[in-house]
Amino acid sequence: MAIISREQIVEGLVDILGSEQVVTDEQVLKESSLDRYRKYEQVCEVYTQPIPAAVVYVKSAEEVSEVLTFANDNEINVVPRTGQSAIEGGLETALKDSVVIDGSTMNKVIKVDEYNMQVTCQCGVPLQELDDMLRERGYTTGHSPQSKPLAQMGGLVATRSIGQFSTLYGGIEDMIVGMEAVFPNGKICRIKNVPRRAAGPDIRHIICGNEGALCYITEVTLKLFKWQPDNNRYIGYMLDDEYMKLGFDCLREVMVEGYKPSFARLYDAADAQQHFSAWLPEGKAILIWMAEGPANITPAIEAGIKEMMSKHPELEEVDPKLIEKWYGGLNWGPEQIAEEKEEIKATQNIGITTEVSGSWDNIYDIYKTACDRILEEVPDMTLMGGHSSHSYINGTNMYFVYYYNIVDCAPEEEINKYHDRINQIICEQVIKYGGSIVHHHGLGKARAKYVTQEYGSSYYMLKTLKQAFDPNGIMNMGTLIPLRK
Amino acid sequence: MKILGCFKIVPDLDLIAEEDWIADGQLQVDTSYAKLSWNCFDEGALEMMLKLSDLSEGFDVVYELNALTVGRQRHESFLKTLYALKFEHAVRVEAEEDQDIRFCPEIIAELVAGYIAGTSPQDVVVMGMQSSEGCNMKTPLLLAEALGWPCITEVTALEPVDEGHLKVTSEEDGRTAVQVVGVPCVLAVGNAPSSYLRVPTLKDKMKLGKKPIEHIVPDWEQLLEKEQNVELTELAAVEERRDAVLIEGGTPEEKARELYESYLKGRLEKI
Repeated sequence: MAIISREQIVEGLVDILGSEQVVTDEQVLKESSLDRYRKYEQVCEVYTQPIPAAVVYVKSAEEVSEVLTFANDNEINVVPRTGQSAIEGGLETALKDSVVIDGSTMNKVIKVDEYNMQVTCQCGVPLQELDDMLRERGYTTGHSPQSKPLAQMGGLVATRSIGQFSTLYGGIEDMIVGMEAVFPNGKICRIKNVPRRAAGPDIRHIICGNEGALCYITEVTLKLFKWQPDNNRYIGYMLDDEYMKLGFDCLREVMVEGYKPSFARLYDAADAQQHFSAWLPEGKAILIWMAEGPANITPAIEAGIKEMMSKHPELEEVDPKLIEKWYGGLNWGPEQIAEEKEEIKATQNIGITTEVSGSWDNIYDIYKTACDRILEEVPDMTLMGGHSSHSYINGTNMYFVYYYNIVDCAPEEEINKYHDRINQIICEQVIKYGGSIVHHHGLGKARAKYVTQEYGSSYYMLKTLKQAFDPNGIMNMGTLIPLRK
Repeated sequence: MKILGCFKIVPDLDLIAEEDWIADGQLQVDTSYAKLSWNCFDEGALEMMLKLSDLSEGFDVVYELNALTVGRQRHESFLKTLYALKFEHAVRVEAEEDQDIRFCPEIIAELVAGYIAGTSPQDVVVMGMQSSEGCNMKTPLLLAEALGWPCITEVTALEPVDEGHLKVTSEEDGRTAVQVVGVPCVLAVGNAPSSYLRVPTLKDKMKLGKKPIEHIVPDWEQLLEKEQNVELTELAAVEERRDAVLIEGGTPEEKARELYESYLKGRLEKI
């Protein structure tokens, strides 16, 4: 906790950045004390976390360095942020008089290198704008998370984000080339852009996924890919919900045979009704693939998947146009968030997601037992389901989707009565069956309490990284590693 | 008091891509892929019925909430939702898959009136004033005419009074009217403060959502021949573009100054 007063913190920041870049408006500070993990508190405008001393807008790595040095010298907790789309508590200001460092004004695309197929941009470049610009030139980052209209480069790398086309392009960890980051002592480090190197450990992964708990990401270079949407092929099958296990096996079959569709998804019936109610009968789950790439490859992927699926009489093919149209309306932007806020206020019904991963031999058990336990143990549930949306040769993810009515519960109690309880059940089942409790939203503060169970003996490595890079404990405390009570 | 909530299920038109707003040979826009939702005015009307029922404690009145939709098989899940929200009775007047009834408010009004007069007498009908498909804004008025009942439009709230009366709040020419009205009547819900319907729990869906839905199969051919007095001849998308100017400036203050000097000052002086 800071060794100087709140007023001195603000004065110090103004000295470094000037008053225009230091915001102390009370409402801004309150809204900057949390993220969408405490969605209900946000909707009710009830703020239970310590209110930060200031939000500062930085314009360069040098400014970040000066702010971090000041914070480090005065033991001030800082919370790095860019697009503010976090949903696991990563942006909560867990300690008194924290400073939120906002990189959203560092929003320049520095270089589009079409020959070496890479793009370099500052941390505050919005992914949507970047990818729209690239697509006009015939390229894409290949990264397309649901948060694309909100998310910015720094946060995407910091949380080890993944996009909807991950089965082809990989997660952000597969896309990053080099980076620039600033450490708490003010040291600016740049990792150069090369196709690959074997010069010791891959230190990019100290930065990627650090969730603002080790350093501040200021610049990112990503790979580019050709964008060829005209060649896209869509494949879909419906199946009875009771065949979810078969659904996972179908996903596996495609991966194991060596096909690389850009997305591969399995929705259970409850979740599917949220997307496909216009034409999908109730009680039906759905399997979806999209093939993307050169014109001579996508028909082959389509034909290969169809041939494999034709051997399963439980599957019924659906019109690929329906899948294509659905895919067009998948992302979440500010309009959807505003609408959701009104809906929650009116109905006291709230929807949340938790994403985990598992191997092929345990993902169904994770999915089934977590759903069953939640329905048994948590009151007022109105929807419990999920989907798998990122598959690998050795397993897949599960994106639990759940809604509940908030009944007889003050806004500040909601998190304990419902959200944390559901998260706990999911994490317990994942740990029991040997999966990972976090697939792509980051541990944040919400799931940091399970970090030792998640890491096992390798927790030593994570803790050592934290001690080495952030000895004064100023970087987003409570994220990754829980605060000591 | 028996209250019938009439509703329509519509595609979520926000999900229709701009390039898909093209009418086909039958003057239909393909919305088959868009997820289904309550027509927002009807959703507000159904929630208003539930709120009225919530408020009934302390009043000497029992509300029996019923629901009716003219729709297709895939719309039945919405009736099941209403059962789970403790509606007493749910009816689906079967609409044929290939029949275009978007612009047939006379037929819809006749079907509902026929149900009330011939099958299940009601004291009040509550429905949205229009739907996102068709936007006719006629069905409540035509229904009231067919039943010979009064109709209040732009209703925004309902409160209990007694078995024979309701307190109805409505908007009239920019003013708010609060009236105690006798039943029977038709109430057309407008911009209600909340247009969202509450969500039943899964337990209530399991317990109550399996009640049988009453089906009515009308003679569509006869109805269309007799009642259809308008013919759709053209369908075109409304161009909703606006010009925009990007205000340039080095600082927020400069931009604000430019906004004021170039765009606001003159207008403000005219006020």
